[in-house]
Amino acid sequence: MSVIKLTGGRVIDPANGVDDQVRDIYVKDGRIVASLADGDKVSAEYNVSGRIVMSGAIDMHTHIGGGKVNIAREMLPEDHRDDPVARTEITRSSCGYCAPGTLAAGYRYAEMGYTSCFEPAIIPMNARQAHMEMGDTPIVDTGGYAMLGSDDFLLRMLVAKEDQQTINDYVAWILHSTQTLGIKVVNPGGISAFKFNQRKLDVDEQNAYYGVTPRQILRTLSRAVHELGVPHPLHVHASNLGVAGNVDSTLATMDAAEGLPIHLTHIQFHSYGSEGDRKFSSGAARIAEAINRHKNVTADVGQVLFGQTVTASGDNMSQYRNSGLASPKKSAVMDIEMEAGCGVVPFKYKDQNFVNALQWAIGLEIFLMVDDPWRIFLTTDHPNGAPFTTYPHLIKLLTDRSFRNSMLDTINADAKAMSNLASLEREYSLYEIAIMTRAAPARILGLTDRGHLAPGAAADIVVYKEDADRERMFEKPELVFKDGELVVRDGKVVKVVRGNTHVVKPEFDRGIEKKIEPYFRQYHSVRMNNFKISDDELCECGGGSKLIPHACRKRS
Amino acid sequence: MSALVLTLRSAPAQRVDAGALNPTALAGMTPADVAALTLQVGKNVVRVDALFDLSGDDPGDIVFRGDCSRFERIGAGMKSGRVTVEGDAGGYVAQRMLGGEVIVTGSTGAFCASGMKGGRVEVRGNVGDYAGGAVPGDMKGMAGGLLLVAGNAGERLGDRMRRGQILVSGNAGDYCASRMIAGTIAVAGTVGAYPGYLMKRGTLILNALPVQMLPGMVDCGAHRLGFLSLLYASWKGLPGAFGALDASACTVRRFMGDMGATGRGEMLIRG
Repeated sequence: MSVIKLTGGRVIDPANGVDDQVRDIYVKDGRIVASLADGDKVSAEYNVSGRIVMSGAIDMHTHIGGGKVNIAREMLPEDHRDDPVARTEITRSSCGYCAPGTLAAGYRYAEMGYTSCFEPAIIPMNARQAHMEMGDTPIVDTGGYAMLGSDDFLLRMLVAKEDQQTINDYVAWILHSTQTLGIKVVNPGGISAFKFNQRKLDVDEQNAYYGVTPRQILRTLSRAVHELGVPHPLHVHASNLGVAGNVDSTLATMDAAEGLPIHLTHIQFHSYGSEGDRKFSSGAARIAEAINRHKNVTADVGQVLFGQTVTASGDNMSQYRNSGLASPKKSAVMDIEMEAGCGVVPFKYKDQNFVNALQWAIGLEIFLMVDDPWRIFLTTDHPNGAPFTTYPHLIKLLTDRSFRNSMLDTINADAKAMSNLASLEREYSLYEIAIMTRAAPARILGLTDRGHLAPGAAADIVVYKEDADRERMFEKPELVFKDGELVVRDGKVVKVVRGNTHVVKPEFDRGIEKKIEPYFRQYHSVRMNNFKISDDELCECGGGSKLIPHACRKRS
Repeated sequence: MSALVLTLRSAPAQRVDAGALNPTALAGMTPADVAALTLQVGKNVVRVDALFDLSGDDPGDIVFRGDCSRFERIGAGMKSGRVTVEGDAGGYVAQRMLGGEVIVTGSTGAFCASGMKGGRVEVRGNVGDYAGGAVPGDMKGMAGGLLLVAGNAGERLGDRMRRGQILVSGNAGDYCASRMIAGTIAVAGTVGAYPGYLMKRGTLILNALPVQMLPGMVDCGAHRLGFLSLLYASWKGLPGAFGALDASACTVRRFMGDMGATGRGEMLIRG
């Protein structure tokens, strides 16, 4: 039995309304407890007086596993050559800056105080590979969202006007079979439409082959996720990513959920107007206003930060459009087993480029204009906007107005003139940062024992030394505990543990397999029973990860 | 100040990344600082003075002595100064070099001057495959500067080369100037099969027709090209076969290709 005491820290725990209160925290066998029982002996005590104590941070949208990340790695050997990570006594060698290897990703996340990371785009056929990669990512907990919406099976069901109940069963079956935590839809129906030579698909435009519109897909899937009681709302990568003037289709996407919960991801890439001389402007004000008004909508930002990165997305339509902008000049756009597609385009965001600079400003405008930090999340859509290692810099931009304005002065002058960023006075507090990086993601994902520090919570705890320079503070936490084990000290990994895998298992009617099995037999490259990932297999391919199923609400 | 001489004690059993031992990286260091640097030898980390005896004190002029054929990336990324290898060198000599001079009196391994952008590399022996070429994943090979080879070059000489000049006094292997984007390659001896494979642009100068010619190389007949007299004059005095060409002998048989790529590359056969 291990008992740990963290003495005298300034605790910030928004899930329980605790804002900077001095408290002792006790950890017994990996869980936080209110106090010690008689006979409990403290095996390790850490004096953290004056230090800021928060729960482990959660990245709810980061591409760390699955097919497209591997394509990005293969495509960018220079990213790996130029950024080697040497082995140490306890850590293994790895490499990569914008598409790091699994090992470097896990170590770097832990060293920044992140203890859970979620891969947002698992193509069901690639789920096994994705789980293997995430299982290979040390220290952090992982989980993923299965990608539906352009898969032939669902589109056929929509064409056949199957009832919602049957579709719910299919969605639940996918969650079970792929061992995932939620459902994502990418450019609803658009990935499929691309294969029928459509190069653009608006919310009410029909897929040329199936005749289905994105609005129908959004409505059906958001309802399925809701009716199944899955905690995480439908995770939506909206139509028209990166297109000037896409703010209208983003607003239409919000409406398509018809009041049901919906999460719009990397919304910065979907908040563009088409005004001004260059027909590219900020739609942040309209988007922020809509998020403030629609309480069913949550969003993560997908902030752009300047430098070399690689964009990896399931949205083959937008990636095909962007492939001419690749830097270095190489890209891949492909179909994946009729279920979806993917596009990988290396990209360099430049602060003197008008569009890139305005993208940077638009992301920050959204952060600052959405009032409720419980409904907006801190992401760069790693690696699409920037690698996750830039998070401390992003936190500094949000918490320090004078720093933000001095950065604003260095970007492309035309972009600066098009942005209202200079007039936004808001500075995020540590409490609000803790909400958007911990409490809120845990709540939106249904992780009841993560993201907070009340008794019963898993002991994922981070201790920061307060520093007026928030970038320095957040890039190097003093202590990081994962499930009660000290894994990082002074920003360096001191112990490597294995994270858990988070999944949901909603109830459903197994009779749906009578429809799915013949479909697999006729059209797929594997048989249905080989497609499904069992609990045992997941734990095995995760190298012994523990499976944590999260409760679903009762079916309505 | 005298040249900083690194005399190898005994050839290491494994490959060594010697990229850190160049004038730019060592600028301002004393011999004691250099001696205390560490190099990766296989999976072990070894101090410089465990591998070499050091003498001299000028880190702007570095001399390697002994069999350095397992030392890779000698002179890589340097911006100025001089590196001399008295003997053979390993792979990736002068990789991504920006300026200065590298002289190898023996031969080098593969990828010599790969991604080089400026400066001058002189190899008195042979160079391995992909000299002036691109390492896998890179979009460009050599992108500037001059590579002089007194001996022979391996296969894929100047693969994906973007700019600069490669002059080989001996022979070159198969697929010389493959995927070449721009720049100039001249070979005094013979070339192997299929020079100019997927060549986009650029100039390949040969003294005789290759034995195996690509079907995508199209004969455009004899031409008198004025620019050649300027080019030859610019080479005047260089060591090797190209330092004493007759600047007025600029009639060549011109082939364009590879028609499988953009077809704007040229192969000039001197008469």
